[in-house]
Amino acid sequence: MSEPLTAPRRAPRRYALPAAAGAGLLVALALPFYLDRFWLQAGLFAMAAAIGAIGLNLLTGATGQLSLGHAFFLAVGAYGYCALAGGDEEGLTGLGLPTAVAAAGAVLLAGLAGGLLSPIAGRLSGAYLGIATLALIFIGQHLLFNADDLTGGYNGRAVPPLELFGYRFDDSEDVLLNVPFGAAEKLWYVGLALLVAGALFARGVLRGRPGRAMNALRDHRIAAGVMGVPVARLRAGVFVLSSMYAGLAGVLLALVFQRTVPEYFGFVLSLEYLAMIVVGGLGSVAGAVLGAAFVSLLPQVFMRYSESLPLVSATGDGGVAPGEASRYLYGAAVVAVVLFLPGGLARLAPRRRTPEKKEPSDAEDAIQTQTSAHRA
Amino acid sequence: MLKTPYRHRHQHTVRRQRPRLAAVAAIAATLALTAAGCSGKANDDDAAEGDGGGSELRVGDGVTATTVPLGVLTDMTGVYATLGKSVTQAQQLYFDRFNADGGVCGRTVELTVRDHGYDPQKAVSAYTELEPEVLGFPQFIGSPYVAAVKDRIDGQDKGLVIPQAWSATLLGSENIRQIGATYDVEMINAVDFLVREGAVGKGDRIGHVYFEGDYGENALAGSEYAAEAAGLTVVGKKIKATDQDMTAQVTSLAKAEVSAVLMSAGPRQSASLAGVAAASGLDVPIVGSNPTFAPQLLETAAGPALLKNFHVSTSTLPIGSPEPGPAELAAAYGKEYPGELLDTGVIAGWSAADLFGEALQRACKAKNLTRGGVTEALLSIDSMDTGFGITHDFSDPAEPSTRESLILRPDAEAKGGMVVAEEAFTATAAADYAVGGAEG
Repeated sequence: MSEPLTAPRRAPRRYALPAAAGAGLLVALALPFYLDRFWLQAGLFAMAAAIGAIGLNLLTGATGQLSLGHAFFLAVGAYGYCALAGGDEEGLTGLGLPTAVAAAGAVLLAGLAGGLLSPIAGRLSGAYLGIATLALIFIGQHLLFNADDLTGGYNGRAVPPLELFGYRFDDSEDVLLNVPFGAAEKLWYVGLALLVAGALFARGVLRGRPGRAMNALRDHRIAAGVMGVPVARLRAGVFVLSSMYAGLAGVLLALVFQRTVPEYFGFVLSLEYLAMIVVGGLGSVAGAVLGAAFVSLLPQVFMRYSESLPLVSATGDGGVAPGEASRYLYGAAVVAVVLFLPGGLARLAPRRRTPEKKEPSDAEDAIQTQTSAHRA
Repeated sequence: MLKTPYRHRHQHTVRRQRPRLAAVAAIAATLALTAAGCSGKANDDDAAEGDGGGSELRVGDGVTATTVPLGVLTDMTGVYATLGKSVTQAQQLYFDRFNADGGVCGRTVELTVRDHGYDPQKAVSAYTELEPEVLGFPQFIGSPYVAAVKDRIDGQDKGLVIPQAWSATLLGSENIRQIGATYDVEMINAVDFLVREGAVGKGDRIGHVYFEGDYGENALAGSEYAAEAAGLTVVGKKIKATDQDMTAQVTSLAKAEVSAVLMSAGPRQSASLAGVAAASGLDVPIVGSNPTFAPQLLETAAGPALLKNFHVSTSTLPIGSPEPGPAELAAAYGKEYPGELLDTGVIAGWSAADLFGEALQRACKAKNLTRGGVTEALLSIDSMDTGFGITHDFSDPAEPSTRESLILRPDAEAKGGMVVAEEAFTATAAADYAVGGAEG
């Protein structure tokens, strides 16, 4: 079913995406000079979500392993950072490490947590893994609420601001080109750097041999195994990688929140991440990023502007309250995307055909690739 | 699967595409850099607010020539939806009257409401959104979220925030002020009430069912302190907000032979506890913290049990009280929002708005209608009788505004379902108690 590949017609598309990405990046670099804190913070939440969603998309979208425990690994990242970087204030345990080390340590910690679960993750497939990981959230949240020394309990614990090469990413005001830079403006660049690095790395994974092996595993486990893909090891490996992405997202979230609260890392958060990759597009980095932006920005936009919508009454007048309206709209938007864009938002963008969207007639190709890939 | 990128990569004429890419990049870069100079965020030399040596009114932080904007961070779609609605409506009612009476310094108060649905991300976002535009917040539901932005409030923002929570962990800030006794003080007074009623005596056990989190744990700290002073032993039962069947707790408390039960949870848990206890023969008095009761409970199967054994320790008169304060509020609220439930949220919202209004008036009198001016004005309020049974003192941020509690009991006939069982009092133990303990 391979469509005719007329090179000249496709050529503009090839560069449209990198060009758009480049231009988008430049605009993103300039945004802190214009947007107010609300939008920057919303953007930062979206960036953190995007990093986490990329991780989940590697696992669920590309490898076909359902995980409901993503929120747990986010929590490990967020609280890991606090515990490693924090001091002993407020009667809490903290190692007081340099914050950059703590951030890296938190990501490793999330990876380690994923690694501990990998014997399970390597053996279970699809929905079964989903059920196994579901338990993680409940155990995790119970720990967060009750391990007071480490997590601060119900009210959470304060997040030490990031400090890189002596520069603190906190609310102390620095003025750059006449624009005051607070925590949101400074963190914006950290978030952007992490997101770009995370996206490029994931793209490399997906387009390389591991990516092909992951897709083969998703599409036909037995065939993949026959071709020499180490099924259990690959599943476990992807699970660890996805946990580390979640850990990184958790660190960034913690830095933006400035306080980690256990309430946040619940079942709903895991579902939101699943919604992100489904809405954005399964299996691709762009899909994860678009989906994350959609799912985390839309409710905030609606919340902010719902008062000015028609049919929405002021609070207490008995009509549809702004908060309710924003939920209806958000739900409708998600349904609309799933209904009309079954491939996700990523299908809207002009894109070249990515290798992970495989047609049946490509099976021969795939088999060849897999065998050569795993022979080496 | 790997058709295009690999097979056809080198077949296109690359040269023709380059300029377009470069052009897009260049345009974006130029836009970004040149426009940075004229950003709306850039620090201009603002016409400095006149600091006219005391004769002129200083305004700032969103206050304009005609309005004083205030923010309301509420929950109308989440777990505290009923409370959020009552509090918000009561506050709107208060400020409508406030404006009708002439407002403050010739300006009217404008409320901007944001419903965060008890979601941490939305709550923090809503605070971030409203903070630059408003003078302060007469409502902020969700003590974890108040704690989340506490450093910003105390660090740079310095706007007055009145949270609808009574945990001692929030004490100690000049800018975050709670109205009423904290949960621990409420429980100390509750134990004192039980001792004086003769329900418990030296050597007895007393059960305490409490939510995990700062509300329940703060209350437990109080009951344990009071129990030690009175020679009692507390049998603590920690529950989650999602636990609604109290059978296990009641069975275990009955086995421990408790002579009374304290309750720091939600209304549903109260109903279950009272109902199950009555059915299983554990006929002991129950005293709850102020959020443990809702008027709807009396219509449930647990109604008779609640009427017989239940009490609430709180810092306000019930809305059904014949005293002028609650009576007028109940009438006005019923007129403005006919058919709406009259619960404790109405009083809590009204009191917070009233306090904020009083602070605004004082700030106006001091010619300083800024955040700093409001905070200062609040510190000067050392005896405020809002008409709800207790006089509050806001001069010390490290102390709750009162150590008094009233004991209420359910009454099916009364508006709001509650009547006063005992007028405001302070237990001796409560007077000596170091509020908040070691908490920062």
